[in-house]
Amino acid sequence: MIASTIENRDDLVSYLNAAMSLEHATIPPYLTAYYSIHSGTNSDAAHIIRVTAVEEMLHLTLAANVLNAIGGKPDLTRPGFVPSYPAYLPDGEDDFTVDLRPFSPEAVETFCKIERPGKAPSADSRLVETPDSRTHFLVSSPTAEKMRFYSIGEFYEEIIEGLEKVAANDPALFHGDPARQVGPEYFYSGGGAITVVTDLQSAQQALRFIAGQGEGLDSGIYDADGELAHYYRFRQLQLGRYYQVGDRPDAPSGPSLSISWDEVHKVKVSVRLADYPAGSELARVARDFNADYGAFLALLTKAFDGRPDLLQEGVCEMFRLRDGFNRLVCNPLPGSGGLHAGPTFEIPAGAGPDPGVSPDAGATDETARTVTR
Amino acid sequence: MTAPSFEKFLSLSVDLTAFEETDLLGTGMAHAYLAKVRAACGDEVVTDLLDAHRAARADAAGGTGSHARTPLDRDLFDRALRHRILSDDRLGPVARNVIKLWYAGMWYALPPEWTDRHGARTAAETSTVTAAAYQEGLLWRAIGANPPGAKAPGYGSWAEPPRIADRYLKGATR
Repeated sequence: MIASTIENRDDLVSYLNAAMSLEHATIPPYLTAYYSIHSGTNSDAAHIIRVTAVEEMLHLTLAANVLNAIGGKPDLTRPGFVPSYPAYLPDGEDDFTVDLRPFSPEAVETFCKIERPGKAPSADSRLVETPDSRTHFLVSSPTAEKMRFYSIGEFYEEIIEGLEKVAANDPALFHGDPARQVGPEYFYSGGGAITVVTDLQSAQQALRFIAGQGEGLDSGIYDADGELAHYYRFRQLQLGRYYQVGDRPDAPSGPSLSISWDEVHKVKVSVRLADYPAGSELARVARDFNADYGAFLALLTKAFDGRPDLLQEGVCEMFRLRDGFNRLVCNPLPGSGGLHAGPTFEIPAGAGPDPGVSPDAGATDETARTVTR
Repeated sequence: MTAPSFEKFLSLSVDLTAFEETDLLGTGMAHAYLAKVRAACGDEVVTDLLDAHRAARADAAGGTGSHARTPLDRDLFDRALRHRILSDDRLGPVARNVIKLWYAGMWYALPPEWTDRHGARTAAETSTVTAAAYQEGLLWRAIGANPPGAKAPGYGSWAEPPRIADRYLKGATR
């Protein structure tokens, strides 16, 4: 068996930072598909995607709670926190690209892959060597060079085991200020409760919840609470039917769901600022969205840095971002053969905690591109 | 007669509403609105309205051409719009209706004096365009509020002052 890649508290901090980045990285692809859907259409698909995206926000917050519990300092504004799309995720020995795509069979296929259960065949295959060509890899080991995990599930398993190991040698591991925890009074949504993390047991519970709700290593359709795992929710969109209790994984027998793939704004796949006509009004709007998103990440950073009450303000910001998202995807992107615009999620460097000054476009572009993980 | 062009309608709408093209396209309503105006007034009136708008822009660009890129003299353009469109008995009421259409998402019936002279169509009666039109009304953006019952702004957001874009504040402080 390959030795653990987590030896001490610093390693755990690196891993939990990576976990937050990973959980966040799934949100832009889900939102792009969700907001590409013409309003008032595809309600089955829209609902499934929306619920999943909101649960990823819960996962992000849970990872922040674990990080805060061991005295870490979450920072969603650090370079590279938001990946450059397309990004790469593991699918066992292979990997796959995660693009920002409009709602489409390809998008649903990607979502299934993101959430697919993936237990490594043996303990020593948990880690897989990363090919040199892969720079935007989302579940690299932050401590073992050029290694990435077999699956998201194995990534979390490593952290869960690492927590236990480090806690055994360091009784003061969970010394974080309890006031930095985001509790249920600040985070409320459907699909799972927030866990306040104060010790090893609650930390492992929080991480098991993330892994179980997403892909999970033990492949059951429903979890202990009777909730359908994300992977199977998206399988419903591929198979055209809802699951009901007692179904086999490949044969849902519930009501059929209707999908109209054409009722969608055809947003350009993984659109970049460079795809926008230089100097155009539309380019400015796309850049403004990125700046607003950067300011929102700065607000979340403050919320996770001892001000959990700021999450309420964060919710209002999310609704503003929703309106900005909708405006962009309704706009045709000139010179792209009828495709539509969309947010690029290239976060400007100036969008940190004090987003007063917006850097010039060239510098913004450069910063976003050189970010690798 | 060729059908009134969408691009020209969009350009007219930008000048009538003071919202940018991306904002107007961002409502997802622009094509439906042009179709509504055509159905309510007929293509001849719409084409004349778009031509008058083009002429007003040409006036303000110095009259040498109707180049869309030529920077406009804003005062001249304001006067030309009023002269050629808003004070015109036939085009003025339609232009005002286009403004209301964008802001309220409703097509309002043209005044009886207008329909007496230029003909009444069934589509000219007061009506909504689509269910989305109400939500997409520019008036909500203009006052920094959400349309009641739609586009939820988040719990407690009503305690915050409305956010109005700088370009509409004309130097006023918040």
